[in-house]
Amino acid sequence: MAFLMGDWPSYDPQNFSQIRPSDPSAQPSKLTPATYHPTHNRTVPPPNQVITTEARNILLRQIYQKAEDKLRPKRAATDLLTPEHGCKQPRGDFSNDP
Amino acid sequence: MFKSLNVTARVFERQIVQPRPSASVNSVRQFYENFVPSCTIYDIDCPDNSFRKITDDGKYLISFSRNHQELIVYRPTWLSFSYKGEDCDSDALSQRAKRFDSFFIHLYTVSLATSNEFICKEFFLYLEGLEFGIFATSTALSHEAPATEGAVNGVQCIERIVFHLVRLEDGFVLDEKVFCNDFVNLNHSMGVFLHEDLLCIMSLRYQAIHIVQITDSGNLVDVRIVGTFCHEDDELFIGSHIQVTEGQIFLSGIKQRLLSYIFRKHWSEETDQTLRIQHLKKKFYFHFQDYIDLIMWKVQFLDRHHLLIKFGSVDGVVSRTTEQHPSFFAVYNIEKAEIISFFQNSTEELYYLYEQFCDHFTASSRSSLHANFISSHSNNIYAFDQLCVIKNRASNFLQFVKKMVSSLPYTCQSQSPSPYFDLSLFRYDEKLISATDRHRYSTEHPIKFISRRQPHILKFKIKPGSEASGSDARPKRISSFLFHPYLPLAISIQQTFMQPTVVNIHFRR
Repeated sequence: MAFLMGDWPSYDPQNFSQIRPSDPSAQPSKLTPATYHPTHNRTVPPPNQVITTEARNILLRQIYQKAEDKLRPKRAATDLLTPEHGCKQPRGDFSNDP
Repeated sequence: MFKSLNVTARVFERQIVQPRPSASVNSVRQFYENFVPSCTIYDIDCPDNSFRKITDDGKYLISFSRNHQELIVYRPTWLSFSYKGEDCDSDALSQRAKRFDSFFIHLYTVSLATSNEFICKEFFLYLEGLEFGIFATSTALSHEAPATEGAVNGVQCIERIVFHLVRLEDGFVLDEKVFCNDFVNLNHSMGVFLHEDLLCIMSLRYQAIHIVQITDSGNLVDVRIVGTFCHEDDELFIGSHIQVTEGQIFLSGIKQRLLSYIFRKHWSEETDQTLRIQHLKKKFYFHFQDYIDLIMWKVQFLDRHHLLIKFGSVDGVVSRTTEQHPSFFAVYNIEKAEIISFFQNSTEELYYLYEQFCDHFTASSRSSLHANFISSHSNNIYAFDQLCVIKNRASNFLQFVKKMVSSLPYTCQSQSPSPYFDLSLFRYDEKLISATDRHRYSTEHPIKFISRRQPHILKFKIKPGSEASGSDARPKRISSFLFHPYLPLAISIQQTFMQPTVVNIHFRR
């Protein structure tokens, strides 16, 4: 009788002797694994995306980063107050005092 | 990774335990705690050569003849002997086995230097994949250098320096590169840096960095010379547009790049127009002559396209205590011919880069297995602890920064990849022995290697010099150590003034 364990050796020949395959037609080779489909497309990568290792090592990246920070002319004072994140909305003026 | 200390238990454990990702070499190295070079053959009878190095792949032992004119190469092997008798577990090693050629087989002897030239015995670089070795021969050093056009005054001169590319398999000299009336710092290969197949040679006298490529067929091909000109076609461009008369009109290309970088950096630091002029006067124009007087001291590759160049004054080239003289570091992009960054040696920023990314300064190629696992304070917690201890003890942080940064640019292939120097496995006195191949003063006591995992357990001892050396006042003895990269085998060489050199072999029986 063919069952999943086959002819594998065991310490005790009585082990696994009680197992009966639950469904004789469900052979392992015929079982297909469940496939999962995404329910949204918010996290789809861009179609032309190629993932590669950064050619420059981390030390050089740091050096370039610091160099760019230094050479960029200092922003005027007003620039620093503008919000950098697009998702943040500037607050409107409050006309009524608490 | 291993729960047990017993080697058999560890072998069984290794069959089922998966080491941590990307740490398989570090985990398997723990076996070196079980195999240590605890047996010593004292004062072995060996040829009177100056032993330089065991190559990083463990295939060759490089040595030079006493007269510094011949290269002698051996193959490290392991002793094998047959024992006639019943009790073959006896402790005594057969006298016939205790020979130098039990461990090292002589492969060949090649003459590299001719009559008035000598091999620089401290210079050796190895290309691991192709098994090529780079050696240097030179004529004697002359302190009175003829003042030639283009040469820096105050730098010594060597009439002829030749770099030889040798195929170590058979000793065939593949190619040579000659420098005439120049000076390259050949001590401990400091003036030359090898990165993968690119070599950069710092010509101090003519202030030029020669970038040379080593091809697979064994040729030394000039790629570029950075110094007077930066781009490959600069010389042609200037020659065709400007009539060059006697004497240099222009500053050298690299100097111009440096000055323009410093100018732009200070220019961008200040936005207000009038303050900008003041800022430039103070920071740039005031020091203008000092910047012009700077010369390149040492260079290394950071990767194939970037160089780290150390600048300093002419006086500092010869002196050993380079910390006294202010020095500067510049990161230079070879392809774009641009300076990316410029630091003074007292800059904390440079120190923090060194502290965090020390391994990247060694610029070891990814293909070299052994070089990537040398303990440094960026990859080893014990080394980092030692660094922190020194940092906290330093009274003056600026002096500490200067001292740490003085080891840059890194001298390539100066550290042994032997796992016995791995600070996660063993604790040892770094003043007496370390991965860096420098001569050290030896004491009469053996050097102890104590296990990290089991504190206070001594694993093995290395004792240079003869077995019975008393503690009477003797002239200073200098020791050097050559460790095999992966076998439990080491050579210690002790030299005493006016006395014969003593060579010991330390191995695992």
